[in-house]
Amino acid sequence: MALLSRVASRLYWAARYIERAEGSARVLRAYGDVLADLPTTSLRWSPLVTISGSDVHLPAVIGSDEHQVAQFLIADREHPNSIVNTVDHSRENLRTCREVLPREAWQTLNDLSIYVRGAAVTSVDRRRRDRFLVRVVDESRRLDGVLQSTMTRDEAFEMWRLGRYIERADMTTRVLGVRAATLLPVAPGQTDAFNEVQWMGVLRSLSALQMYQRATRGPIDGPAVVRFLLFDHRFPRSVAGCLAEMRTSILRLPEYSTVLGAVEAADRQLRRSRPAADDGAALDAAMEEVQVALARLDGVMHEQYVVH
Amino acid sequence: MVSSPHHLFTRSGVVGWWGLRSAGVDELLEADGRPRPIASDLIELIHRLGIDDLRERQRVCDLEILTMGISFTVYSDGENIDRAWPFDIIPRLIDGDEWSHVERGLAQRLQALNRFIDDIYNERRIIDDGVFPAELIDDSANFRPECQGVHPKFGVWAHISGSDLVRAGDGQLYVLEDNLRVPSGVSYVLENRGIAKRAFPELFQRYLIRPVDAYTDELNKLLHSLAPADRHDPTIVVLTPGTFNSAYFEHSYLAQRMGAELVEGQDLVVGDDDCVYMRTIQGLERVDVIYRRIDDLYIDPDVFIADSMLGVAGLMRAWKAGNVAIANAPGAGVADDKCVYAWVPDMIRYYLGEEPLIANVPTFRCMYDDEREHVLANIADLVLKPANESGGYGIVIGNRATPEELELTAAAIRADPRNWVAQPILDLSTGPTLVADGIEPRHLDLRPFILTGESSYVTAGGLTRVALTKGSLVVNSSQGGGSKDTWIVDRDRSSEPVEA
Repeated sequence: MALLSRVASRLYWAARYIERAEGSARVLRAYGDVLADLPTTSLRWSPLVTISGSDVHLPAVIGSDEHQVAQFLIADREHPNSIVNTVDHSRENLRTCREVLPREAWQTLNDLSIYVRGAAVTSVDRRRRDRFLVRVVDESRRLDGVLQSTMTRDEAFEMWRLGRYIERADMTTRVLGVRAATLLPVAPGQTDAFNEVQWMGVLRSLSALQMYQRATRGPIDGPAVVRFLLFDHRFPRSVAGCLAEMRTSILRLPEYSTVLGAVEAADRQLRRSRPAADDGAALDAAMEEVQVALARLDGVMHEQYVVH
Repeated sequence: MVSSPHHLFTRSGVVGWWGLRSAGVDELLEADGRPRPIASDLIELIHRLGIDDLRERQRVCDLEILTMGISFTVYSDGENIDRAWPFDIIPRLIDGDEWSHVERGLAQRLQALNRFIDDIYNERRIIDDGVFPAELIDDSANFRPECQGVHPKFGVWAHISGSDLVRAGDGQLYVLEDNLRVPSGVSYVLENRGIAKRAFPELFQRYLIRPVDAYTDELNKLLHSLAPADRHDPTIVVLTPGTFNSAYFEHSYLAQRMGAELVEGQDLVVGDDDCVYMRTIQGLERVDVIYRRIDDLYIDPDVFIADSMLGVAGLMRAWKAGNVAIANAPGAGVADDKCVYAWVPDMIRYYLGEEPLIANVPTFRCMYDDEREHVLANIADLVLKPANESGGYGIVIGNRATPEELELTAAAIRADPRNWVAQPILDLSTGPTLVADGIEPRHLDLRPFILTGESSYVTAGGLTRVALTKGSLVVNSSQGGGSKDTWIVDRDRSSEPVEA
């Protein structure tokens, strides 16, 4: 039996939203660590807000205050991409396609959503925040574990993977975008040590530090980090890695040629980008181009499988 | 806490059960407060646990319901709220022998009702033979002229039904009404059982309790059997009005358990070939059987309510052409009417030549002058029911209504007598229920689910609904009712003591 178009769309979005929540949680955790190592004046919380997509939702009151930013990213109901909202959106999408998933998967997400709703507001506080963020990441991983170990590799499964990987690729480019926003012109007297700390933070927020070190066996250096996160397809959070996973899923779906074409286009865009790791504006522009290619892929999938 | 076996306890201590009882019978306790033989193991266990442990077990159940996402949707203050399903930990027990009789009675009843519906939309023999009054059909809100001349497979229209049963003060079970349109609640029967098993594992070892799990499989078999003859590996779908419907949880649940697709009206389309298709990621795919959970009037905007966003244009055309089966068939509701109800015993005699195995509640039909005069003269002692409402709405209970309400009701009856019936006020049976103040009796009813196709199937038990408010008779979940697991207990090991 073929997958209903409406169900395909809901699965895809359930996956995107939970991946978005997970991504935000990872980044928020890592960022706190980085800031602790830096002189208070050199970096602020405000760049983190860009993680959540665009600045259009950004209320004027949000400045560089840690509490405000954490509140905005975790518990703000007005902010569509806050963790509390993305977990809810994911749950609502999954609730309406429970019939295609193993039951345990729904229960995992439902459980997380009950927890997040109850704990989000109090978890903005720094002392409780880490536990909350770890739980979001862990439960999101558990959900994929449940699907990995109990779900038939049918079209529904591939739709879920597509949602996960496109969102993950997007998040990786956003994390690099945040880094771009904090790349300051190197002032005389400022040492490379801080630069290294910040690139380390980038790797940490994608849970990539250890894998980077194993893969490069070298020091933390900007251009190498960017290359790793964009092009090392063996690393599952790299943009190239995500595109490879999407390619695998797409080949298992019906009528895939235009969708596959869009993946290849995104891949070409990625390889063309060759961004400079020391120039904030250039890195930001390159990441934006990749994001545009991903958005195009999203549109093509919608055309092919949902509205057709 | 120590207490004698014929007392149940409250938070404040031991209280004589009798003092809490209403006039009706209790499902678990004899008139003197002693446990019925069937319930003795259960009551003994409750005593051994004590109120705190029982509450702890209830708390675990509530938590499980929340995490498993067992919910129903309530519409209130312009918002749809997904609410956790209310479950009372103390089960309702019914003797297996009694239940076997009820099963036969329900199967018999649904056979007669289906013969009636098929007759009404075709030959109308029952009217020609003077057994059933024609005028009841002509102005019935649930009669669909568009269905005349259709002969669904096996002559069955109401494939899935849920008749409400109550136990009256005389200890007998009566059919209170037949729900032949889109009865809901069966998913909670199955979920309640899963929770009860974990709440009282020691009792499931001790008692011989009939399993309920087979329902979805039986439903799946029934739906397959309805497919057009030339369709060998039929595609079955459950048609839901959508996520905002109060029973959405159930629609999703049934689709999950049958491996069927859960579709909304927007997912389906009727082609020029009069076949029904669903929109999939590969394009259109033929649909053979639709288990619809949408009311008749919304299923096809071409035929019924024109601006319905829930239905599928052309569905009736496809159904009449025999290209798709619809369960329940459109028009089946003609026999689900509080007036028509009064004739069900006559239908059983007329079509099957048998005596009814389960009784109707005595019903006064206001369309007849003598019965109406009796109703108007005794209005404060009766339950007044409008014929075509469901969910307990519009019902007036004579001894609880104000004089003004009775006045208005009497006027409504005089204005539209065909639309009203009246029944004696029943002393609904009670069951011990865990509430804020301890364990107290609460009124119950029971909705078993009956599948009718080539053969019949009745759930082992059904959904026991509880009126959680003290003294209330309203059991509907939409109005604050709760639920209990229902155990059909076969006598065998239940006489042995429970292990600690």
